[in-house]
Amino acid sequence: MAYSDKVIDHYNNPRNVGQLDKSSESVGTGLVGAPECGDVMRLQIRVNPETQVIEEAKFKTFGCGSAIASSSLATEWVKGKTVSEAMEIKNTDIVKELSLPPVKIHCSVLAEDAIRAAIGDWKKKNAVGEAAAVAAN
Amino acid sequence: MQSHVQNSTASDGEQTYFDMFSLPRKLTIDTAALERGFYKLSRQLHPDLYARKSAAEQAWSLRQSSLLNDAYRTLKDPVARTAYLLKLEGMRMEDENTENRDPRAKQNRVPADLLEEVFELNMQLEEMRANLKMGEDDPALRGDLERAQVQFKAMLTSLDEDLRRAWAAWDAAMDASDDAAKNEQKDAMVAMLDRRSYLRNLLREVDGVLTWQGAVGEKANI
Ligand code: FES
Repeated sequence: MAYSDKVIDHYNNPRNVGQLDKSSESVGTGLVGAPECGDVMRLQIRVNPETQVIEEAKFKTFGCGSAIASSSLATEWVKGKTVSEAMEIKNTDIVKELSLPPVKIHCSVLAEDAIRAAIGDWKKKNAVGEAAAVAAN
Repeated sequence: MQSHVQNSTASDGEQTYFDMFSLPRKLTIDTAALERGFYKLSRQLHPDLYARKSAAEQAWSLRQSSLLNDAYRTLKDPVARTAYLLKLEGMRMEDENTENRDPRAKQNRVPADLLEEVFELNMQLEEMRANLKMGEDDPALRGDLERAQVQFKAMLTSLDEDLRRAWAAWDAAMDASDDAAKNEQKDAMVAMLDRRSYLRNLLREVDGVLTWQGAVGEKANI
């Protein structure tokens, strides 16, 4: 399968690979998987409690190139955004940016799910905006 | 007359794989009847019978044959049969590749504890691969992986037992036209098939690493 240059770039030079301290109050962890292929993705964010801005994001993905590229891109995109802005990121944005073919859409879905799961985890830890958290679910 | 068997979805008026073989929508099927139906329908669609027909009819018979083969292969394999039935029932298995998906459709389908295990094991696999590539072996790590292999195999075996019980429960619910019980089994089976595909993928990876002979072992589905 032919990959777009952007996918190949993220695959060869993934941004923000690594992990944050899961037990920290300011860190949200999202661990998600795609049953279709068995791939798993962990995405973590560190949120500034005052501003709710995501200051750091890390990921680790065991999966296909598109999943790695999607999660790498997702960490780039969430950084500098507030939590609620980050919730707005859609998998379709990722598909467009990376020119993913239809069979790889589920890989971008995984990245969107991971962002939401990480934010959800952070909200739960910090008991932030119950109403917002419920809406996000 | 050409349109009635073309699609495998459950929308109204379309023939399902089960219909093609006049089988009820159950998960324990009469495999002898399936075989008989397959051979009978195959004969009816035999290219020789269409040799002197129009191009359009020949094309039609060809399409029908390939559909028949798909139907037969799907129903013959109990797991594929289950996935297909769940799809017919609107559970949309293995079909996340759609732009307009419902974002909630997949949530929590796979239990978090399994995900943790899968993730941890992948970490170990990665380490093991790195070692192997350097021409080293780490007996402790290898031992961990071997234990994981045994454990995941056992999980798969017991999952398949659960699955068999779910088939029986589904069939009973069908007989009783008990929608509540049917829905319960549907949800249970979706979760089981998801779990199953994780376990199978993982086992394939573990088997690959443990039998690594050089050169291979890297995950190939970039
Ligand atoms: S093929 Fe599994 S996430 Fe891409």
